[in-house]
Amino acid sequence: MSDLVHDLKVKIVEFLKLDGVTPEQIDDNAPLFGSGLDLDSIDALELVVMLEAHYGIIIKDIEEGRPAFQSVRSLADFITARRRS
Amino acid sequence: MRNAVAIAGCGATTAVGHGVEALRSALLANTSGLRPCARFDSRLFQSSIVGAVPPNGHGVDEDDPAFYLADTALTEARAQATKVLASTPVERVGLVLSTTKANIEALERVSDGRPCAEPARRHLQGDLLAADLAAAHGARGPVQCVSVACVSGLVAIQQGAKLIQRGAADAVFVVGVDHLSAFVVAGFTALKAIDPQGCRPFDRDRRGLSPGEAGAVIVLTRADRVPAPAITLRGWGISNDANHMTGPARDGSGLAQAIRAALAMADLPAPEIDYVNAHGTGTPYNDSMESAALRNVFGDRCPPLSGSKGMLGHTLGAAGVVETILCVLAMRERCLPGTPRLHAAAAEAPAALVVEPRSAPRLDHVLKLNTGFGGVNGALLLGHG
Amino acid sequence: MDKLVVTAASRVTEADVRAAKLGSRFGRLDLSSQLALLAVEALGLDFDAHRRDRVGICLAARAGSLSTDVEYWSGRGNAGGPSPTLFAYTLPSAAIGEIAIRHRLTGPNLCMVGGNTGLLAEAVELFRSGETDSCLCVECNVITPALAAILGTPATALACALYVVRGGAGRALGENDRDIESLCALLNPSPSIP
Repeated sequence: MSDLVHDLKVKIVEFLKLDGVTPEQIDDNAPLFGSGLDLDSIDALELVVMLEAHYGIIIKDIEEGRPAFQSVRSLADFITARRRS
Repeated sequence: MRNAVAIAGCGATTAVGHGVEALRSALLANTSGLRPCARFDSRLFQSSIVGAVPPNGHGVDEDDPAFYLADTALTEARAQATKVLASTPVERVGLVLSTTKANIEALERVSDGRPCAEPARRHLQGDLLAADLAAAHGARGPVQCVSVACVSGLVAIQQGAKLIQRGAADAVFVVGVDHLSAFVVAGFTALKAIDPQGCRPFDRDRRGLSPGEAGAVIVLTRADRVPAPAITLRGWGISNDANHMTGPARDGSGLAQAIRAALAMADLPAPEIDYVNAHGTGTPYNDSMESAALRNVFGDRCPPLSGSKGMLGHTLGAAGVVETILCVLAMRERCLPGTPRLHAAAAEAPAALVVEPRSAPRLDHVLKLNTGFGGVNGALLLGHG
Repeated sequence: MDKLVVTAASRVTEADVRAAKLGSRFGRLDLSSQLALLAVEALGLDFDAHRRDRVGICLAARAGSLSTDVEYWSGRGNAGGPSPTLFAYTLPSAAIGEIAIRHRLTGPNLCMVGGNTGLLAEAVELFRSGETDSCLCVECNVITPALAAILGTPATALACALYVVRGGAGRALGENDRDIESLCALLNPSPSIP
């Protein structure tokens, strides 16, 4: 699980081209949107693409992704749950 | 406002057919040109419902659709403006092209290794497309290519007016064109901005836009060269929300600023506006923002307004030009355009939203609005008589 | 009309972009927007000195958005599809949006595509029509190696910017000043990147 969390942080930095941000600087539970990394609606769409491209998970509706995108931790939980089903 | 600029002729190739007459019929009947198109398989794209120009027997030029759409509209516009053009030396005829993607078809072909001959390839570049259109249609005066997202068309009309006002040209072809492409439909799909059921501007259940294509031309000249009652450009305004690249400022303050600038340039108070043609893409955010902007400027007294993208789809760089032509047709017919594909108006939409076309006691002052990615807002004020 | 003067000029290249430190979200912009933003930073302006709703932004995109278009379209076969962020930058005027957002400039915008657009002459018109009191004029020329292969022209990546103001001290704008790059070259500024 902590591998997945770390992997997600690496992918987020890469996909969202976050300059000068290291994966270690991203707090597991910090909000991704609004405050924290201050991501916006286009970033959310980019993360949807990332989920399909790297984790094979398809999100049809952006609303479906909303609870998953709260934090890196919630994203990891979402992926883990989807993989089980 | 310096020397008045008037409209001497129009041409259009759109989803409702070839020619301005097809637009006029669609306006009066409130029809929609949006249809499922096999080219945009809804397994790969968010929707296959688009505003595609129907083949008319000659067929759409396959490797140079941008040139074809603009070329056909130019031919029609020139025929409408024969008298003015006959008395204008070619060096005094300019051309301003508005496009977001020019002949993007060429990039798709080259990337796939499919054949793409010249001049289709060079028309990938907007300035070269503009130059070739000018050469093909007897415009040896100043030539420009403007590209300001979905506000391009209104910016191009302003640029044309300024060329005439400063004496750099006596007639200007303002050409708006964008063609339907996988490039654009895939992009809006990635942004999840398309309504799977086709756009429904200002509708309570709207979910997004419908991509469209068009070639549209307005011939501008000095007002004293056109018989009365002429349709003139009374004022305009451009502003930026300075807020977000793809989402409009929620309170509509940027668009309100552009509207106020147009009113100020025309020296016209807001209550004199007889009709507003909205940008009305059908996305949840855009239409709410426009409703807010109109409330900001007009308070509870919003003039009759409607959205035309249910008829033609979102034609991007052509939108400002073809939708201005719709306004011109409405003014000549003294008919308020309806809002095709609207079923149930959203709660926040102004009460003055026109659903079905109806005749108007007066259509002398009309406002055309557009907004675009990068936070740009535009307003154009047309006058009649 | 009061004469128009250039109060600042700058030129930046891709090397300047690589060295730039403009925050964690700078990386998401496309190269054209990065260059344009950097060129504006290098002017060292204080926009508080002018009403932000009366500052115009004029952009000449010599190669349109074609470099970004090529990059976006090359991702069409990716699982998950092409990048929505890149798509948002497949517009020649995207850099205007970024400049407006960063400096909170709500005035009029103009973007022209091609070389020799005569953009400066068009910027002058914004003053004449009473729409602006000052204007940022930026020229971008971005041809990535991938685009160069398609167009058959050399790759390049640079931007230059001018600030034009009504009245005051500075190099007066003349009748023959039509293009941004040539005027920047003439003023021969030494770029100072923050």
